[in-house]
Amino acid sequence: MVCPNCQSNVSDKKNRCERCGQDLTLYRKIYRASNMYYNIGLEKAKVRDLSGAIIALRKSLELNKKNTNARNLLGLVYFETGETVAALSEWVISRHFCPNDNDADRYITAVQDNPTRLDALNQAIKRYNNALAYAKQGSEDLAVIQLKRVLQLNPHFIRAYHLLALIYMKTGDTEKAKKYLLRASRIDVSNTTTLRYMQELDQQPDSVKEGANGSDNENSSVMPVISYREDKPNVMAFVNLVIGVIIGIAVTAFLIVPSIKKKNVAGDNQDYVDYNAGLAALEEKEKAIANLQDENSQLQQKINELQAELDSIEIPEVNPEIYDPLFEASSLYMDELVKRERDRDYAQIAEILRTTDTSKYESDTALQLLDRLKQEIFPVVSKEHYENGHNLYSKYKYEEALDELFMAYNYDQTNVDAIYFIARSYHRLGDYESARTYYEIVVNDFPESRRYQDAVSFLESLPE
Amino acid sequence: MINFEEEIEKFQPSPEIEQAEDVINNNDLTDISDIIKMILKEKENTIHFDK
Repeated sequence: MVCPNCQSNVSDKKNRCERCGQDLTLYRKIYRASNMYYNIGLEKAKVRDLSGAIIALRKSLELNKKNTNARNLLGLVYFETGETVAALSEWVISRHFCPNDNDADRYITAVQDNPTRLDALNQAIKRYNNALAYAKQGSEDLAVIQLKRVLQLNPHFIRAYHLLALIYMKTGDTEKAKKYLLRASRIDVSNTTTLRYMQELDQQPDSVKEGANGSDNENSSVMPVISYREDKPNVMAFVNLVIGVIIGIAVTAFLIVPSIKKKNVAGDNQDYVDYNAGLAALEEKEKAIANLQDENSQLQQKINELQAELDSIEIPEVNPEIYDPLFEASSLYMDELVKRERDRDYAQIAEILRTTDTSKYESDTALQLLDRLKQEIFPVVSKEHYENGHNLYSKYKYEEALDELFMAYNYDQTNVDAIYFIARSYHRLGDYESARTYYEIVVNDFPESRRYQDAVSFLESLPE
Repeated sequence: MINFEEEIEKFQPSPEIEQAEDVINNNDLTDISDIIKMILKEKENTIHFDK
């Protein structure tokens, strides 16, 4: 406990302050009473007797203004009844007396951290004040509009409910007044003003009812009791029924049946029109199909022509194997070069080169290599075949000699000796025409050669 | 029977949030302890004056 005289802490067991010597017995009783009122206020608040809670909590604070729990709860109760400023005031004061570990901090923060809500609450207060001014001036309609808006902004504003109910009571709209009072009573069950207005409204209907019964029976909801009387059979009802049936049949005959017939005819006509339209569409489709078929046949013909053209085009095949003979010849040539000159044998290489089909060669380098090999090898081989042919010629084997000499001539077209002895062999064999042909080659193409004179002589000696 | 004119006069404007400071400052925070202290002080002063 804090000593109210010197503000020093005193043990709860001691009845006198050790510092200032103040007798604390009375203060203890006062604080106990304050707590008791706080408990009463809390009990009332729990059952929504907010007005009762406010009275109890105020008493508690009158006894002990530093009763933080009582002040915080009073703030909450005020807030619940729509008294925002009173609530904030209590919490601020509570925080002033107890700055540390105070729930009031949380309440203030909760309100201040939502500016939209705070603004709505303030707007509600302002509008309520305006409505009150309007009501005092006699402008009830404007006041009602304002108060309805107030209750939208702050549905817990008890004062607004009371004022609205009072206005409705004045204007005679008791139902609405009752409705708003009931809403107010849901927030604060024992509010004196609410209960007083309710009591007023409860009394009012009786007087109104009495007045109404006396003045106007038509408005009464109570039906007069009439004596029992047995109903007589009603002939008119039967007549009416018969008339109704007749009218029904007539309507069916004159209105509905013609309408149905007309509808059927219209339907048939529509079907006929639809059929014609369908026929025309069908013809059109057939025509389109015929056109498309013609187009199709023309296109098919074109495709065939183009296919034939395509087939006629020969695409040169790039086959790496066509170069194999060249590689083989080159390889063999290199092998021969390693050998001594007299041991070299170019016959096989020459044969490969001679039989190689160069028509499919696309590489210029390959063709150049082939020509070079031919230039290197063919004269040598031609000379060898010439030697062989000449030896056979010397042995009078002219036909065999011709084979070798032609080989020599084929390998080297400039081998004039070979040409000369071909002519000589034919000459010896008596084939003068052939002999003439080859003598003339020597005479015409190789006038500078050593065979020229002999060729001229033999040519002249040939019989015509 | 409630008299509207009398009844409406009982309604007072509600303080706005801008007026919260005034409400706090004008709040009477005197409690019983303060009153007792005040009475005791006055009593002491009276005794002192009599002496």
